[in-house]
Amino acid sequence: MLKAKHGILVIALMAILALAGCSKSDTITVGSKDYGENILLGEIFAQMIEANTDLKVNRKLNMGGTFVNFNAMRNKQVDVYPEYTGTALTATLEMDVINDPTESYNIVKDEYLRQFDIVWLEPLGFNNTYTLAVTPEIAEKYPMETFSDLAEFAPNLIFGAEHEFFDRQDGYDGLIEAYDLHFKGEPLKMVVALKYQAIGQGDMDITDAFSTDGQLRQFNLKVLEDDKGFFPPYHAAPIIRKATLDAHPEVGEVLNRLAGRLSDERMGELNYQADVEGRPTEEVAAEFLKAEGLI
Amino acid sequence: MSSEFISAIGEHMVIVLASVAIASALGIGLGILSYWKKSLGTIIITICELIQTIPSLALLAMLMIIFGLGNVTMGSALVLYALLPIVRNTHTALSQLPPALIDAARGMGMSRSQRLVKVEIPLSIPMIFGGIKVALVNSLSIAVMGVLIGAGGLGYIVYRGIQQQNMGRIILGAIPVVIGALLFDWLLGNVEKRLAKHARL
Amino acid sequence: MATIMKHGPELLISLGQHITLTLAAVGMGIIIAVPLAILLTRHKKLAPVVLALASTIQTIPGLVMLGLALVISGVGVKPALFVLTIYSILPVLQNTYTGINEVLPAYKDAAKGLGMTKSQVLMKVELPLALPAMASGVRISAVYIVSWATLAGMVGAGGLGDWIWTGLSTYNTTYILFGAVPSALLAVLLSTGFGALESALTPRGMRRTS
Repeated sequence: MLKAKHGILVIALMAILALAGCSKSDTITVGSKDYGENILLGEIFAQMIEANTDLKVNRKLNMGGTFVNFNAMRNKQVDVYPEYTGTALTATLEMDVINDPTESYNIVKDEYLRQFDIVWLEPLGFNNTYTLAVTPEIAEKYPMETFSDLAEFAPNLIFGAEHEFFDRQDGYDGLIEAYDLHFKGEPLKMVVALKYQAIGQGDMDITDAFSTDGQLRQFNLKVLEDDKGFFPPYHAAPIIRKATLDAHPEVGEVLNRLAGRLSDERMGELNYQADVEGRPTEEVAAEFLKAEGLI
Repeated sequence: MSSEFISAIGEHMVIVLASVAIASALGIGLGILSYWKKSLGTIIITICELIQTIPSLALLAMLMIIFGLGNVTMGSALVLYALLPIVRNTHTALSQLPPALIDAARGMGMSRSQRLVKVEIPLSIPMIFGGIKVALVNSLSIAVMGVLIGAGGLGYIVYRGIQQQNMGRIILGAIPVVIGALLFDWLLGNVEKRLAKHARL
Repeated sequence: MATIMKHGPELLISLGQHITLTLAAVGMGIIIAVPLAILLTRHKKLAPVVLALASTIQTIPGLVMLGLALVISGVGVKPALFVLTIYSILPVLQNTYTGINEVLPAYKDAAKGLGMTKSQVLMKVELPLALPAMASGVRISAVYIVSWATLAGMVGAGGLGDWIWTGLSTYNTTYILFGAVPSALLAVLLSTGFGALESALTPRGMRRTS
């Protein structure tokens, strides 16, 4: 019987080792936030690294929100993930909104390097900004073009967003203050991906949307204009741990080949294919990279 | 997508099996301890019951604060949840042994540990095994939540299905869990019965 | 702490939502499970099948059930309540069935001997004697539901899960604890409460030595 007990102990030890995982130095961990576009970008990064370097990629995609990925990076659990300048500026660095894209990129780049030893690589070329979206029925019932127009009709509308939106400086609290919005009842909170379903089924009337979301086209949603410029520009770029970049400069070089390759329209189109048409992320990513001659 | 599916099943099983293995070693040890020292035993089992009562998402999130994201956190949660069935069954099995047997063993001059290893544990194996079976079946289901804290496994498939409103994918992620649970329950149940036959004097 | 003061009212609202959701789901589970259990004791052949089916449903992970309910009926309290009710059925069903079944035939015979009709036997002998087992089932069900209800935050149903979800999305330890600790305490409270009810309902003569 001692043998059986010993056996269990041995398996247990092996199990502990297996779980903790041996981190290899020639593996890059690519993370992403938990919604389609970011997952797609993470997959694009992963495929670029795999195809163009000798390094292996450990994918940790679909992993929570901004802060989860950011903290994972600071804890050295993630080496690279796709981030947006606006998010970095207001949500992470908690600085005031800057509307000039170049200025905000440079500030974010400097601060991340200085404070966190994280390097911002070249922007991918698109601005995926927060915006507000309503269904065509609502738009017809309450004619509005801008966020300011919204103030008049807000008390008739139920607002819903992902949990993160309610805890960011560039989020709910700031928005309703800037435009003096009073929505109907309590806002609904749900995971990112469910927002469009909720609005499509009429469980809520208005949501924060990401401007390149494929679902905007799918549900024919009307997007309102941020006339007072509350939301900063959100230009996407890969961000990478400085230590990783120093050890493997080829990763930076390879990912920078993506610079400027994704316009707003192109990103929106890719998102549509992945989220609305339901094509596998790996396929959409691979097709894009091949079309661009990058792999 | 099928390779993603296969690797998800693989990862899921590794996490579950590893955690149940650790919990078994730990749980049997704690079960023996609670049998040897009754007062300690009550405390141990009460703590295990308390852990079981904690909502899984809550426990998972709290463990994430300590261990960060990933498989280690999921594994720790599974180990904690697996303890009660194993500890309790070990303790009960040992406590329910006929006193006559224990006296006989004592009479033969066996020390406490010899008694444990040569008599008490062998006779308790069926029930201990039953506890491990319950732990295994429960763990298969709980492990799906791993995706929420960055762990691998079938939860990833389910979550992607939820995000894409794809019922097929949600069900796909669930099938191995349900089939696995039924399979393990049946398979290990049979082994349990056979062990019980052997253990009978 | 200042944070507790700042978020106190919101937290209480979430607690209220959570309790309401739990009680509603467990309540509906009881309403469905008890008659079903009684039915099964009268048609014993069906029992293994039904119990096995319910047991299998129990192995389906909460995330999956929520996901399916989501795709079918969308976001909000209704789909969450639907899923939670399904989960609350099995423990009550199983325990009620066992409780009624284990009533010694001697008691039922005595009752019939006294001239009671079948429904009188049920109401005056079987159910009262099965109450401790039923209370146990309700206890198990309540603890399950408090746990699954935390997932409901994912689909806009509110409750303490909202805090955990926000905490997870924003890596905010405080929010996670705001959601996790009260929900754990709630579960323990319900478990202890129903456990006490269970003991109170067990006639002294029928108490088994633990």
